[in-house]
Amino acid sequence: MAPPEVQRTRAIHVTQEDVRRLCEFLYRRTGMSFDDNKRYYIDRRLAERITATASNSFQSYFATLRSDAEHEIEHLVNAFTVNETYFYREDHQLRCMVSNLLDDILRRKTTGESIRIWSIPCSTGEEPYSIAMWLMENWSEVDKYNIEIVGSDIDTRALKAAADGVYGTRALMRLPRHVIERYFGRIDGNQVRIDPGLRDSVQFTRVNLIDARDMALYRDFDIVFCRNVLIYFDDASRRIAAENLYDCLRPGGYICLGHSETMSRISTLFRVCRFPDAIVYQRPEADHDDS
Amino acid sequence: MTTVESNRDAGRARVLIVDDSSLVRLYYRETLEGAGFEVEQAINGIEAMEKVLAEPFDLIVVDVNMPRMDGLSFIRALRSSPSPVAAVPTLVITTEASSQDREDARAAGANFYLVKPVSDADLRRHVACLTGTSR
Repeated sequence: MAPPEVQRTRAIHVTQEDVRRLCEFLYRRTGMSFDDNKRYYIDRRLAERITATASNSFQSYFATLRSDAEHEIEHLVNAFTVNETYFYREDHQLRCMVSNLLDDILRRKTTGESIRIWSIPCSTGEEPYSIAMWLMENWSEVDKYNIEIVGSDIDTRALKAAADGVYGTRALMRLPRHVIERYFGRIDGNQVRIDPGLRDSVQFTRVNLIDARDMALYRDFDIVFCRNVLIYFDDASRRIAAENLYDCLRPGGYICLGHSETMSRISTLFRVCRFPDAIVYQRPEADHDDS
Repeated sequence: MTTVESNRDAGRARVLIVDDSSLVRLYYRETLEGAGFEVEQAINGIEAMEKVLAEPFDLIVVDVNMPRMDGLSFIRALRSSPSPVAAVPTLVITTEASSQDREDARAAGANFYLVKPVSDADLRRHVACLTGTSR
């Protein structure tokens, strides 16, 4: 029964105008923007979703998407977000966290106050778990503070994988051997499972960076790692995302971006801090009037 | 192999770690398991009490500030439990560093007191000493 359906969907023709409507819809709902030079990328993922929903035309698929039947918006977003990363990626920022950021953050802490660290988007969990491992391996005061690490993403499929904590051995390529032995158990030749204690040290949640209601639930972070997501946004969404992130930080809190991203071009709310290991952005301690 | 060696050194002493921070529990557990100790965990005094009444431990490593039942209340409850549970040694590890805090812990029945941060070497050394497994 199914094969003729699949056959038919494969032959579906999608026009330039269809893609434009889809992109506009996606932009309005998620803030993610794609232009024509990403057409191949869009077509491939769109074809996947048309097949998966057994739609017989783009119009029929688009109707499903607009009515959000069977959570199709979420499925499409999942298909559009790229989820490949590895542990200890951009370790210079982790080094900077331990060498510079934490000392400064602790100056403002009262006894018993938690240190809150946010990885957004966290994809399949490599970054928040890397933060936890790095702190345990490299910060001599790790047991002195209650450290809360939150990993958030818009992609629920990635979040599930993050919470499952099963990784291909490729994700381990930057980890020292003793770290692998300590925090991972081998499932087979190609897969490992993260230590349950490490898994429990990170809380995973679904968040849309440009949705102010989502973001309002996240406050008082000391450090936010937000790498390589602002590049998906256009200027307007990028600024909204940056300002949402600003509100999520405690005064004096820091944000780390991807190496090709600079906050200065996005928002003037942050102070640029050049540390030996990384350039990071700080929410000023005393809020200034930015009007 | 080295793991088997160190297991024998530690005599597979059983240690219960009681701390409300998952990262701290993980850090202590990794440190102690790496030295061959067998480790169980609890997130507060109430959960710790349930564990010590159900299974034997050679040492309890306990934080002071925890929700629901703090470390010193736990030690008092432990000391008033039936033998042999009442006699399990306790190592308090806390951020509270004043002489009054130390005195309070001693009065509650703590055997030893360390102030955070505690290095992995110090933790291993004190746990080995309190479990009688140091060479």
